[in-house]
Amino acid sequence: MNTIASEYSSEKQSTPIEHSFNPYSDNGGTILGIAGEDFAVLAGDTRHTTDYSINSRYEPKVFDCGDGIVMSANGFAADGEALLKRFKNSMKWYHFDNNDKKLSMNAAARNIQHLLYGKRFFPYYVHTIIAGLDEDGKGSVFSFDPVGSYEREQCRAGGAAASLIMPFLDNQVNFKNQYVPGTDGKEKRPVKFLTVDEVIKLVRDAFTSATERHIHVGDGLEILIVTKDGVRKEYYPLKRD
Amino acid sequence: MAGLSFDNFQRNQFLASKSQGQPKATSTGTTIVGLKFDGGVLIAADTRSTQGPIVADKNCAKLHRIAPRIWCAGAGTAADTEAVTQLIGSNIELHSLSTGRQPRVVTTLQMLKQHLFKYQGHLGAYLIVAGVDPTGAHLMSVQAHGSTDVGFYLSLGSGSLAAMAVLESQWREGLSREEAIELAADAIEAGIWNDLGSGSNVDVCVMEVGKDAAYMRNYRTPNVREPKQQSYKFARGTTAVLKESIINVCDVEEQEVDVSA
Amino acid sequence: MNHDPFSWGRPSDETYGAYNTQIAQAPSFPKMNTQQPIVTGTSVISMKYDNGVIIAADNLGSYGLLLRFTDVERLIPVGQNTVVGISGDISDMQHLEQLLDELETENQYDNSSADGAEALKPSYVFEYLATVMYNRRSKMNPLWNALIVAGLEDGKPFLRYVNLLGVTYSSPTLATGFGAHLALPLLRRVVDTEADVGKTTLETAEKTMLESMKVLYYRDARSSRKFSLAIIDNDQGLVIKKGLKVEGMAWEFAKNIRGYGTQKV
Repeated sequence: MNTIASEYSSEKQSTPIEHSFNPYSDNGGTILGIAGEDFAVLAGDTRHTTDYSINSRYEPKVFDCGDGIVMSANGFAADGEALLKRFKNSMKWYHFDNNDKKLSMNAAARNIQHLLYGKRFFPYYVHTIIAGLDEDGKGSVFSFDPVGSYEREQCRAGGAAASLIMPFLDNQVNFKNQYVPGTDGKEKRPVKFLTVDEVIKLVRDAFTSATERHIHVGDGLEILIVTKDGVRKEYYPLKRD
Repeated sequence: MAGLSFDNFQRNQFLASKSQGQPKATSTGTTIVGLKFDGGVLIAADTRSTQGPIVADKNCAKLHRIAPRIWCAGAGTAADTEAVTQLIGSNIELHSLSTGRQPRVVTTLQMLKQHLFKYQGHLGAYLIVAGVDPTGAHLMSVQAHGSTDVGFYLSLGSGSLAAMAVLESQWREGLSREEAIELAADAIEAGIWNDLGSGSNVDVCVMEVGKDAAYMRNYRTPNVREPKQQSYKFARGTTAVLKESIINVCDVEEQEVDVSA
Repeated sequence: MNHDPFSWGRPSDETYGAYNTQIAQAPSFPKMNTQQPIVTGTSVISMKYDNGVIIAADNLGSYGLLLRFTDVERLIPVGQNTVVGISGDISDMQHLEQLLDELETENQYDNSSADGAEALKPSYVFEYLATVMYNRRSKMNPLWNALIVAGLEDGKPFLRYVNLLGVTYSSPTLATGFGAHLALPLLRRVVDTEADVGKTTLETAEKTMLESMKVLYYRDARSSRKFSLAIIDNDQGLVIKKGLKVEGMAWEFAKNIRGYGTQKV
């Protein structure tokens, strides 16, 4: 037995043993927002985890913030809650300062960007999605990265099982990779707005499937639906294993 | 020269630090239990296998047969539990043929621990070994480094604490076969519901003195998936055919044969 | 060009020389208040039942491997209908005790109505603690604890958890530390959903809690036989039972275990 002499042999492990406090943790869960023609939905599972443990089977993470805006910040739960609190507070001050003017989706999104970017070097470790109706009454969904980069989208999945759900959404909401039969791939299947019922079916199937294959997803599904009549909640149980 | 070679250790460490790290093995973040009862012993396991947070197999089998009446429940690296179990299983059979005696649980345990000790923990196999032989019913466990343990009730894997909690509060001496099966299944269920590394179904294998082992695959199935809300069958032609070519793998010749002759 | 994002937007060393950290008394490394737990308390476990909540914790203060203090009280009553159970660092626990004491005193001064209409409710106590915990973690100077606030609010059981990261959650059954792995599976066999709470009597709940404390004493190496258990009940009010002992352990079978494999004697 001998050790081959090589240039690596002079490499030394020089990293000191780190014993520093890690201010973040991952609390699992996944969220999903879809915009329709005159409605928008934001759904999230209700499982709260750390590592291999279930902390709670019902800990809601999608909230009605008022003004027909629903919000969820998924990832590190303490930061998610802090961000939500700050946004609700900011909304309250907006009402005080502007004679109870309704906060538009565009304004809310820009405000959240500032809340997130304000902690650029100690970020809120969350994937944020808001849903509601825009100023023309059309469904709208905005999604943010942890430091505030955002975009308006037709649909977006966030959190633990985002990578499992997003391709399904691309295919079933935006009809990606689908062609009109008989056109030999010349003509893409035209996109159309889905109805509320169709969207809820997609959301339920997305979550039951994510529950099957991702250990941090399960227990319950809570969907918040925004229409011109207000915000409505629906709950469906998910598998608990 | 006999023994292990560590020639590539430094190189592997270096490569691991430079690249995305070493290839990850499928781990059976698992709940397994074994317990003794009046006249025998049994083992049970969940059926979830994971790769990180992703469920790799929803109904895998973690109960392995070493000999007809010696079975083994495995936690840890799936490939290692499988390989080590098959290897020792083969050797046990050869040993049995050579001696002309029934295989024993202690022999199995000794062979497993010597094999695992030799590999200094690099084989990630954590096993509960149970069985009946001419000396009675036995229940033991082996850890990856080669240490062993005996007991009346044992649990291993990421869900071992949940399962052990149930065993600690419900196990007693002199359980009947049926009581023992229910207790083992309950202990596995504690792992299924409370440990994210465990899930899906319960497998059980009962070994009674003087009887053939009873392997009960999917003894409980508390996690059947509800039907989907809609069908996702695509209309024919949704996927474009860009190119079509038929490859003839072999030449086909037709020939008339007179069958009546 | 130095491609390390750390040096973006900073004066380049080649032109200006190494940055002088003495300027503005800047330390060469960010200030670290990070500590580690010294004397620690193990699990706190709790559950709701039809008429209130139960919470329990043992009385041990461990100093690493040493069982150092054997009569530490880790269940802290706050006001008339709240108990806070604390695990983790004991000195940080005592700091939290002081904060809770001040909170109660301030509340007494502010409370103008005699009927206690402005008295502290469990959710107030929880919100205060959760804010303290999250703010301390955000200053990178955490209080090294996991707490459970248990109580009665408007006749309904209240149970919520917060830890050193400021992470919070509620469930009909809650446990910290080892209890989350060993006791929760047993508690959830009795109360799995919010709907089960109404079907569970005080008797059943207390029996389940005692059984869980037994399993913890069997299996948690940092636990003690002596523990306290608090009940906050709509009829009985707040009752803390101190100096309880784990009873009814089974050790009879252990003498029949010989060695670790082939040994027979």
